[in-house]
Amino acid sequence: MTDKSQGLSKAQEIYLNRPQRAKELKAAGKKIIGYPCAYVPLEMLTALDLVPYRIYGSIKEPVTEADRALPTSFCPFIRSCLDRSLKGKDDFLDGLVTAHSCDPQHRTAHVWESCVEYSYTHFIDMPGTVRADSLEYFKGQLGDFKKTLEAFTGKKLSPDKVKAAIKSHNQQRALVKEIYQLTRPIPPLVSGTEILQVIKALMSLPVTEGNELLTQVISEVKNRQDGPAKKPARLLVWSSTSDDTDIMQIFESGANVVMDESCGGFRPFRAEVKLTDDPIDGLADYYLNEITCARTFRQATIGEIKKDYAKDLQSRFGYFKGIVEDWKINGAILFLVRYCDPFAFEMPDLKDYLERIGVPSIYIEYDYTIGALAPIRTRVEAFLETIS
Amino acid sequence: MYFAGVDIGSTMTKVVLMDTKGTILSAIKGPTGPEHRQLANEVMRMALEQAKVPLEQVACIVATGYGRLNVPFADRQITELSCHARGVSSLFPDVRTAIDIGGQDAKCMKINKGKLVDFVMNDKCAAGTGRFLEVIAATLGIKLEDLGKLSLKSNKKAPISNVCTIFAQQEIVTRLSEGEKAEDIIAGLHDALASRVTALAHRLKIEPDVVLTGGVAKNSGMVKAMRENLGCEVLVPPDPLITGAMGAAILAKETYMKATAEGETLPTKPRRLEKATFFQQ
Repeated sequence: MTDKSQGLSKAQEIYLNRPQRAKELKAAGKKIIGYPCAYVPLEMLTALDLVPYRIYGSIKEPVTEADRALPTSFCPFIRSCLDRSLKGKDDFLDGLVTAHSCDPQHRTAHVWESCVEYSYTHFIDMPGTVRADSLEYFKGQLGDFKKTLEAFTGKKLSPDKVKAAIKSHNQQRALVKEIYQLTRPIPPLVSGTEILQVIKALMSLPVTEGNELLTQVISEVKNRQDGPAKKPARLLVWSSTSDDTDIMQIFESGANVVMDESCGGFRPFRAEVKLTDDPIDGLADYYLNEITCARTFRQATIGEIKKDYAKDLQSRFGYFKGIVEDWKINGAILFLVRYCDPFAFEMPDLKDYLERIGVPSIYIEYDYTIGALAPIRTRVEAFLETIS
Repeated sequence: MYFAGVDIGSTMTKVVLMDTKGTILSAIKGPTGPEHRQLANEVMRMALEQAKVPLEQVACIVATGYGRLNVPFADRQITELSCHARGVSSLFPDVRTAIDIGGQDAKCMKINKGKLVDFVMNDKCAAGTGRFLEVIAATLGIKLEDLGKLSLKSNKKAPISNVCTIFAQQEIVTRLSEGEKAEDIIAGLHDALASRVTALAHRLKIEPDVVLTGGVAKNSGMVKAMRENLGCEVLVPPDPLITGAMGAAILAKETYMKATAEGETLPTKPRRLEKATFFQQ
């Protein structure tokens, strides 16, 4: 008999009501810091006993308020995030930390800081390419982040505290990796929909509570008899953000989603932070070099006079080859939020790379509303008909 | 023994009924309307009546199109992309590229051995679809079915730069006020629409000849504009609206035959055409 108060049921409950725990913690005196993107070093928040809370938009809610503050023809995800904030849906947040993950997030961040009242705001100017000098610049940015955090909390951010936080977050990354190991069997022991609920639950909790939830989920899944049924296809979902189970269920109605590269999924957990003497060095290296989001461009040919296309593809997407083999993936959904330039630019090359390693893929763009669900269903089903 | 394909598109519902040899016994088109399931029943009833076939003798029914989930008597749902591909290849066995322009979307398909192998579809927007032509015909006070014939009279296409339905409508009003002739404007619009669909199709590798299906293929001006834009022969089936329903009926037949050959019994839905509602469990 499964205990409904923990594991997957608990994750689903948190997924459906993400602010609940944050509100309880706030009532108990904790400070809750919102962030809308994977590029905010959560370890620095955790180290000062601040609770990181990942802000998401909602595909189920039309954007109305944000249209008074922002232009309308750009990223509907970040517009939705600000919209919910303006509607008071995230009014338990004490602070907001943003990063230059992309131009829309950068410019929205400044509007956001002006039109919603927080006790603390900070913007991290994230470099867009992986180079030695961008790493140095980014370390400087994290130094600035440290200063404002210390000013806000009145506490010193000592290297020991940061190292302890890195260990907790690394433990979380290891546990998430362990869950993704459980999608490797045929059929997988856990569905893409369940994983999405778990990941979004984690991003609503302090790291230690998240790790406890993960431990319960892993033990439950390993012993379950009611796992997902075997479907004709095993899919990889590559996405800027795919954060709603209604969409995941469309993918999973005719396939098993066994791996993702998405911000509501594995992306923030794929690698781990190295414990360096100055822990800020390890954080800078991880957040600039290790997160595989299309917003960071990984050029393979720095210093060479001619571009080697195959080598470039290998450098940017080579890590998918092992994943495709280990997870026995036979199709990929390249799922983009409309107007997401970084992903749209990356998509044709990734599609080409996947084709080279024998993985058919379908590119689907959606406008981050539930109105898009029927067209998504038709495209996904037709794609599955072509590969079955 | 008989087989049926039911294609519920955004504007029209089509039913094709065929026998074991693949001979089409009836092909009925009716408006889709707001309540997909009820009209599917009605169109199906008409198809059965015309063919004088009792519903119980239909061995397999495949539903397709946007309303495919709303056909309570269908045994299987297959997307309109696979059904169109199958329908086109039954009519034109050598064709590798098909374009379907319906009421709310345009799709380009690559076909190999009767099977869909790749496809692209337009965005969720009326630009590049039949709805675009419906709106424009209404703006000009011309019947939809007369657009093609009229545009063929044009000697000088009016340049239309917008393919957004609303902006194009505004542009037409401007052109009319400048004294452009209706036939030139329509020829310009067909060209704008064809160029948009051609750009979409070029995301796949186009292999001539191309087959054009869907309601828009009935417009001779659009067929001409597609030929010009694609730079190759464009073939149109005798009844371009029923290609999807026909493909669905063929897939129903093939599914049934394959299952029978393997000694399996296909699960079927109750053969009832009574009214159902969306909210009934």
